[in-house]
Amino acid sequence: MDPLEIRNLKKSYGSVPAVKGVSFNLRKGEILGLIGPDGAGKTTIIRSVVSLLLADEGEILYMGKNIRDNPTYIRSRIGYMPQRFSLYPDLTVEENLDFFGDLFQVPKQKQKQRKEELYAFSHLGPFKKRRAADLSGGMKQKLALSCMLIHQPDVLILDEPTFGVDPVSRHEFWEILKTQSRRQGTSILVTTAYMDEAGQCDRVGLMFAGRILALDQPQELEKQFTDPLYVLHCPQPHEVFEQIYHDDSLYVANLFGEGVHITLPRERTEEQLRNYLQEKRLTITKIERIKPSLEDVFLKLMHG
Amino acid sequence: MQRILYLIQKEFRQILREPAFLGLIFGAPLIQVLILGFAITTDVKNVPMIMVDQDHSQMSNRLVEAFSNTKSFHFLGQVGTAKEAVHLLDRNKIKLAVVIPPHFERDLKTGRQPRVQLLADGVDGNSAGVALSYANQIALKLQKQWFPRLPHAPGTVKEIHLTGIEARMLYNPSLESVNNIVPGILAVLVMLITSFLTGMTIVREKEIGTLEQLMVTPIRRGELILGKVIPLIIVGLLLFTIAIISAGLVFGLWMKGNILTLYGMSLLFMMTTLGMGIFASTLARNQQQSMFITWFLGIFAILLSGFFIPIENMPRVIQWITYLNPVRYFMIVIREIYLKGTALHYLWKEALEMTVFGGAMLTMATLRFHKRVG
Repeated sequence: MDPLEIRNLKKSYGSVPAVKGVSFNLRKGEILGLIGPDGAGKTTIIRSVVSLLLADEGEILYMGKNIRDNPTYIRSRIGYMPQRFSLYPDLTVEENLDFFGDLFQVPKQKQKQRKEELYAFSHLGPFKKRRAADLSGGMKQKLALSCMLIHQPDVLILDEPTFGVDPVSRHEFWEILKTQSRRQGTSILVTTAYMDEAGQCDRVGLMFAGRILALDQPQELEKQFTDPLYVLHCPQPHEVFEQIYHDDSLYVANLFGEGVHITLPRERTEEQLRNYLQEKRLTITKIERIKPSLEDVFLKLMHG
Repeated sequence: MQRILYLIQKEFRQILREPAFLGLIFGAPLIQVLILGFAITTDVKNVPMIMVDQDHSQMSNRLVEAFSNTKSFHFLGQVGTAKEAVHLLDRNKIKLAVVIPPHFERDLKTGRQPRVQLLADGVDGNSAGVALSYANQIALKLQKQWFPRLPHAPGTVKEIHLTGIEARMLYNPSLESVNNIVPGILAVLVMLITSFLTGMTIVREKEIGTLEQLMVTPIRRGELILGKVIPLIIVGLLLFTIAIISAGLVFGLWMKGNILTLYGMSLLFMMTTLGMGIFASTLARNQQQSMFITWFLGIFAILLSGFFIPIENMPRVIQWITYLNPVRYFMIVIREIYLKGTALHYLWKEALEMTVFGGAMLTMATLRFHKRVG
């Protein structure tokens, strides 16, 4: 049985729909990432799953049990990390760990052993007497994760855990998550707004405006993008993008950091694209065919 | 159950780590009792006054002397006519003028009642009333000394004597307001500290996000509330004790009644204030809002408790409202225990009322406190 099953989840805040019917399963031992921009409904899903929010419609089953009727059941068996750092800043690293170990009623002997294990992988050991407020952003996130792992939950639910964390710490954080899922078989549901983190997940759900547009392994999702894709390297990508975008041509343009991504419809050839760009008199230094990234897939799905 | 202990342990770790909090616990009661005890006074002292002596006799001199030798009045001297005295009153130089009529001594000696006139500034009606009664007391005292020595018919003496009614104040013989105010301050202190701190410590967890984190643990709603509230009860009682000791050391005012009765009553009263704090925390998003809500409710509760303003002086409708104010009952209880040493079995009505209000408040607040967001 899949540890977590979400069926047709719907939730509105007043008249504003946040989640418009979402279904997916979290499989045993996998890392499932929900990726999408702010306001896509990721946090609403997470908060419903951890029983902080009551869904308007749909069912959430944890180990086959409906969480609406058994909130305590899920609360004692999962580890939840909210979007914001939410530990006690005036308590030390060790005191925070002890407190959550106590709350989850981990036996003292076991707690001690778990703490050593957690110090080992998080490298927080030397800082155990330091107050949580005085930790760096990355260390804070590792501490929050450790507090949620002390009772060895089967399921870990994290809401944008790497938000505002430096790239090195982000990488380290993902390594910890992967180790946890591979070695302990922990199932992990995680949200992020960073597309580049999708590759770290076993499966990825692309979210936009309260819906999951597609959910699959990252490589499979990339295969969905079958049209030829080119990148235009140019000194003023913004201008080039505007020109093509407003031209109502058959070419679909998207603005990226490195330049403008342009999709060629089936019926067109690369030759025709080059001619088109020449006619428009756009300054382009280089045209290059590329492999589509997940972001290209996302933008394509988003625009329908 | 054990989880409550873990929460309490955590709470005290946080309290002990916060110097400002410790300062508040020990400093606040001492400073409040000290400053408010001296500042809030309905005693009338040093009333600026003058005298108009139109008799210039031996007896009128004695009267002037009597007024100039009291702490209640600040004797500024004499003027010639009543008109001048009124002028001084108009210009707010004095609050009271005593006018001794001509033939004061002669009238007294012949058994005719002389009419000493008191002119008082009635802007502050309360103080004026008290000042007048002080003045009457001084006059009466002199009368008592003189009359037996006067050479006229015993019948007349009796008659004049009978006109003076002397009230004797029980429990607070010197009518010192500090005796009444200080127990009141203790009550207000307990109320403010417990309701403010409850609201603020819960909302603080909301602000830093730990409440959300706590909600997604197996801890139950009741356990969470008890874990937050028990440390505050302990802090509240500690504060109360410090305030009691300060009041004793500074004003020499120690309770006449049983200390255990007082602490028991305080616990009953705290049910209401803690409930109020929890209630505020369910409404407020941040600590400022929580403070505002408790302050808003608190100020009404204090004003309508009989702390400064006697409830009997309020309009009938307001008096009815005060029956819904638990602070009113605690104010009665604490003054009874402090000043009269009233035993527990005479206070059962107040105890019952505080229990009912406290229970209702706590239940309502707890029901509003959900383990969900939004």
